[in-house]
Amino acid sequence: MRKQLPPEMLARDARFVRTSIMDQIMDPRNQKIAERNTGSAKLEPGRPAAGDRARNLMHGIFTGEIQALEGAGRTTFDFDETEAPFALKLDMARQCWDEARHVEISIKLGDWMGTEIGEFSEATFLYEAACAPDPVLRLCGVNRALEGLAIDVFNTMKEFGDVSGDPVLEFCEDWMLADEVTHVKMGSDWLRRLTADDPERRERALEFQKTVDKLFSLGGFRGETDDNPIHLARKLRQMAGFTTTEIDEIADLAAQAQADAQAAVEAAGSA
Amino acid sequence: MTDFALIPEQFTLVEFDAARVLELAHDAAAAVGFPDDVDVSIEVDEVLPAPLNGSQVDVRGDRVELWFTGGAFEDTHRGRILDEELTRTALGASLLRAKDRLSGAFADAPVDAELPERQRAIWDVYTDGRLARLGFAVKEPRRRYVYRLECGFNDVSDAEYAQCWNAEALTWADVKSIDERLVAADPRERPKRTPVRRESLRQT
Amino acid sequence: MSDPFKPRPAFAPWDRRELPGLFDVEESARRVGTYKWIEMRLFEALGGWVATVPELDVKMILGRHCYHHAWHAELFDKRLPELREMNTERLCAPANDAMAEFVEALREPEAPEHTIEKLVGVYRVLAPRKIAAYTFHMNATSKITDAPTERSLEFILQDELNDWREGEMLLQSLIDTPDELERAMRRQQELEAIVLRAGGITGPGTIGVTPEIEGAGV
Repeated sequence: MRKQLPPEMLARDARFVRTSIMDQIMDPRNQKIAERNTGSAKLEPGRPAAGDRARNLMHGIFTGEIQALEGAGRTTFDFDETEAPFALKLDMARQCWDEARHVEISIKLGDWMGTEIGEFSEATFLYEAACAPDPVLRLCGVNRALEGLAIDVFNTMKEFGDVSGDPVLEFCEDWMLADEVTHVKMGSDWLRRLTADDPERRERALEFQKTVDKLFSLGGFRGETDDNPIHLARKLRQMAGFTTTEIDEIADLAAQAQADAQAAVEAAGSA
Repeated sequence: MTDFALIPEQFTLVEFDAARVLELAHDAAAAVGFPDDVDVSIEVDEVLPAPLNGSQVDVRGDRVELWFTGGAFEDTHRGRILDEELTRTALGASLLRAKDRLSGAFADAPVDAELPERQRAIWDVYTDGRLARLGFAVKEPRRRYVYRLECGFNDVSDAEYAQCWNAEALTWADVKSIDERLVAADPRERPKRTPVRRESLRQT
Repeated sequence: MSDPFKPRPAFAPWDRRELPGLFDVEESARRVGTYKWIEMRLFEALGGWVATVPELDVKMILGRHCYHHAWHAELFDKRLPELREMNTERLCAPANDAMAEFVEALREPEAPEHTIEKLVGVYRVLAPRKIAAYTFHMNATSKITDAPTERSLEFILQDELNDWREGEMLLQSLIDTPDELERAMRRQQELEAIVLRAGGITGPGTIGVTPEIEGAGV
């Protein structure tokens, strides 16, 4: 088995269909819908088509968990002990189990919400963050950016479950949130330890995280305004070890990502 | 044979084949036993994508007007592409609800734009149960979840769901009394609802 | 109530443990070092394979088992300094070249069509070999002087037996045709041939006997 497995080689059964996140961002309907009076985009039970939107997001969580599992698994294999210390590999193996459990939970939740495996398409941008050749960059991309996004998404879904009175959704999201906070802490801890004597490497890793955080804001999917379906979970991110400054930076990156996406759609529309 | 008019006549933002949509409408109408002598218009708002799925049925005199978001017909794997099975089921559901309205059993029901979400959810379960028995491809678990979101996650709600799903001849009065029982059993605070409606989502 | 100051036998009547064991400190440490090495190579392989198997149930089970073997490696790693091996990396090594070759061969399959080959290597060759080696260690070592190793092995064996059973059931559910059966048997034979040359996961004498095989212990 080779070291470094590219995203196009992720193995899936026949139910899964892959898509490109750019196709979604460049959809010509985006500009038109932005002109509509659709109200807050935040995922809440009172919003239009809340059930179908929640089902769709649940499937996105499911495929995201598969990719997080694959990313953690590859980190146990892709590096020898000179690149990734034994204790880091143990943490990644532990994360493998956690993510495998999250896949199990997501499948059960999908059943509960009437979503079939493979019902919606899968984009592999989450796994792409786990393909960095430096383990420190991977930890920043996966444990701090990807798992940070997971905190935001799970918190939104937990609130959705709470408000809608769905006991199963709220219960499951609460458990998964606890794991994700641990994974983010793990990433922050290893970033500090592996770069203690190498400030340049730390800087590179944090830059990579910024890039990934901007990408994971998905042109307005995540943010802090009514235009964003998923909101930054500031309190939980603080519990996971993010400083207020870091969270503010992510909020700024999310706003930038949204502005960039709008500009791209407008440019495509006028071309 | 029912006369269908499609609005728009050709799609520009999505890659739906208008002729195929009309074929599916004829097929669905035959399958649900829709009356031949009623003209039907099908308006598809192609701007609204999945998962913003919604539909509306209006009866104006002897004419039926159906409205759909583009998402209601869209392939969940490939954006902007027509999913024929989904489209046939969405059309079948709306035609069945139009047939309910034409039959007189739902004569007292408010127009769709003013139909409370909970009552709409009950009617949708009744519709999907019949569609499933007619051989349409209905995602029952999806319907159950959307219904529970509206009507509550409790035993009373589940029992009413089963009855609605298996019913063959409900009336608007039946829907209202089911609604009353559901309200009595639902301890949740009622959030302000913004349903998928032509009026609320139309271009400003 | 009996007199609490009345002398009692130091060992309860049902405690039949004996002092002698087959391993001295050095031998126990050597074996534990090879166990850590094989558990590490295994959890890395399982972690790497997660992304390469299309079967969703297999993917999730490999993710879970990956952690089990990492935990085993951690337990062995913690035991090594207690066995006078302060440099835990020194003994974390294959028992011999044939074992290194075995692990190389075990981890070689990558294609999504090769799930059977991946699982046969782990659950029909390596897992039974580990269960045999750990069981022998538990039975052969002094239950008093090497009790910490025995205790870890007891936990680990419970995992191993559960995971072995689960992996075997996965294989039985995946092998549907004579061709797939042939693939599974061929794969098992290829890998068994190497591990036989190695003499088991800790080398000749892994389970106390040294089979008289040409090239054994190379």
